[in-house]
Amino acid sequence: MSIEKDVVSRAIKGDGEAFAQLYEEHFDRIYRYVYLKVGNQIEAEDLTQEIFVKALEAIGSYKWRNLPFNSWLFRIAHNRVIDYFRKQGKVEKVALEDDITLVSESNPALTAERELEIEELIKNVEKLSPAQSEVISLRFGSELSTTEVAKVLGKNTGTVKALQYNAIVALRKMLSGGSKI
Amino acid sequence: MNQKLENILNECLEQMLNGESIEGCLKAYPEQASELEPLLKTSLVFIQKSSAIQPAPEFKARVNSRLQAMFYAQQEKAKKRARIPIWYRRWALAMTAILGFLLIGVGTVAASAYALPDEPLYPVKLAGEQVRLTLASSDMDKAKLHIQFAERRAIEIAGMACQGKGDRISVLTEQFANHLNQIYKAEKKEEITERGPKAPAAASALPEEAEAFDEGEGTEELKIMLSNSREKSLYILENALGKTPQATKPGLQQAIEDIREDYDETLSKVEIGSSQ
Repeated sequence: MSIEKDVVSRAIKGDGEAFAQLYEEHFDRIYRYVYLKVGNQIEAEDLTQEIFVKALEAIGSYKWRNLPFNSWLFRIAHNRVIDYFRKQGKVEKVALEDDITLVSESNPALTAERELEIEELIKNVEKLSPAQSEVISLRFGSELSTTEVAKVLGKNTGTVKALQYNAIVALRKMLSGGSKI
Repeated sequence: MNQKLENILNECLEQMLNGESIEGCLKAYPEQASELEPLLKTSLVFIQKSSAIQPAPEFKARVNSRLQAMFYAQQEKAKKRARIPIWYRRWALAMTAILGFLLIGVGTVAASAYALPDEPLYPVKLAGEQVRLTLASSDMDKAKLHIQFAERRAIEIAGMACQGKGDRISVLTEQFANHLNQIYKAEKKEEITERGPKAPAAASALPEEAEAFDEGEGTEELKIMLSNSREKSLYILENALGKTPQATKPGLQQAIEDIREDYDETLSKVEIGSSQ
């Protein structure tokens, strides 16, 4: 049994320590994915918290099959983000906040520069089609493999690769307008 | 050509996410290097910028404590629940269910039977199922209902797949699996009631459970129901494959495999249970 499988099995059986370990492993990546999708720290925090609460409630019914735990968890996140946009009554349109807060840096100038970069990044993701933005957020934000992204989105890997390619071409065009790449 | 480049780009990205440099990737594909380079550079900028997004440590710690608290509350609740007699829990659930039925209206519940997950009546359909499960007089009846509801989930998977709504398939497949899990649990409980020593208090509180199935008869019936349900569900799902958009097909195919596996696993568990 792989280490991850063992940890997941223990979490399913109600081992709090195992769940905490899964939390530690996946929290940052889930947060990054949500943040890239909603573009707002407060909303990203609320949604990330809800996703983990949902995961805790549902982990008892998780079955390993061929679906890695990663894909299961990101599918919860993906569905929650879809629900969020549906409830907001809007197409996936990112609401950029004025003051994006990143991990506190000792250098305020550097922090401000990073914040601007993130803001630009989110604006660019917003310009992609919903499917492209989904693939890019999962691939680059959460560093999932193409196979994992395909499982999360219920698409085949060929479609994911094509979406990824087109998204990168579109991003290149956007970025080459503003900076030298 | 494009497809080839899509694959190469993907391979390079996998390597870059594992620490390989752009130059390393370009060396491996000299013919495509001129096209690949700008795309990889764009990707790298994106990966680097994304990695700057980090949750605030105090937020992360806050959620962690909340989850820990929830986790222990769940454990406590489960322990307390185990102390409440089953007949009392059933009685309370039945009362709630009857009240729910009256509030929702029988007509609406009937109309919801064919609702799909993205339709307004779907929650009513699920609530109706819950009510029927709660009102089921024995574990064997409950198991039969679970087979019926699992079949409904399979039909819903087919419906959603035909509409190209692939993201719903996995959730429904999990729900399907849960129904089949419950069948085995219910069947197992019935077996225990049938074979094990009966507590006098429980027997008087639950006369219908005490009226156990004839040895093996219930299990046999369950096996037949499961086999029929397996045949029907797989027929519907395989039929749906032809009507499903290309992009949703892999999801549906995976669901069919999972469902077949779940049916077979449940059938063998029921069989093992009956032969013990």
